[in-house]
Amino acid sequence: MPRITRDAEVTWEGSSAKGRGSITAASSGAFAGLPYSEPSRIAAADATETSPEELLAAAHAACFAMSLAAELTRDRTPPERLDVRATVVVDEVEGQGHRVVASELEVRARVRGSDDAAFADATRRADAGCTFSALVRASATVAIDATLEVS
Amino acid sequence: MATERSATTTWRGDLMSGEGTIDAVPSGAFGPLDVSWASRAEEPEGKTSPEELIAAAHSACFAMALSHGLAGGGTPAEELRTSATVTFVPGTGITSIALAVEGRVPGIDEAAFRTAAEAAKEGCPVSTALAAVPEITLDARLAG
Repeated sequence: MPRITRDAEVTWEGSSAKGRGSITAASSGAFAGLPYSEPSRIAAADATETSPEELLAAAHAACFAMSLAAELTRDRTPPERLDVRATVVVDEVEGQGHRVVASELEVRARVRGSDDAAFADATRRADAGCTFSALVRASATVAIDATLEVS
Repeated sequence: MATERSATTTWRGDLMSGEGTIDAVPSGAFGPLDVSWASRAEEPEGKTSPEELIAAAHSACFAMALSHGLAGGGTPAEELRTSATVTFVPGTGITSIALAVEGRVPGIDEAAFRTAAEAAKEGCPVSTALAAVPEITLDARLAG
């Protein structure tokens, strides 16, 4: 299989407590100069800057959506629409500092011709096939709450 | 206290011909961003991908951890330029991540800088979350 590489670049200025960084998608150019800082990373969710954890949440939501679309297509019931929310949780673990302890997925799917049992099976396979789920599961919890909507 | 960060993706259609959107994130810092299988597995054509977002998260986490370590060691950085390159093999997963940093850090030598960079690579929360990646490499140097 082909090897695919994707790059990102960061410039950081100053010490961590008062410093600031900026994040650029170097491969695609899809985003550039996203600001982040320590306060935005640990503050309440009303921060106006991004953080590594928000980027991981975006990666997981996108990865899982593609994986589930693939599995439903394999079952000959391609989805009309999938809505996936990923929430990455960081907590201080005694003796280990800050750790990603969980990534929680909430999925709503509109799929013609599927049923609850088939959908649950496709969700399980999507989790196994999503590269990010597999990586996170090695050190943290991946929880999936998936709902099939009747269309 | 735990910190939570969320993001949502909407996907329409099958994998090969369908399209997704990473919705504007709660912070407002980015999005909506389009994603597709073709742009993930072939040329990006201006679209991001889960692997590029992981590269962004990792380079950002690494830079912050290193700045913290350098400040703690009494040699705060003036500027760190970091990058992460994620290698993805469809059907296998992420096989490697290459981290690189060039730092402008007054009062430090190459060896001490490399040691600090190695500690940041091991300790940053994204590194520990991705510890199952088979290979994570580091290239650390001071700006000449």
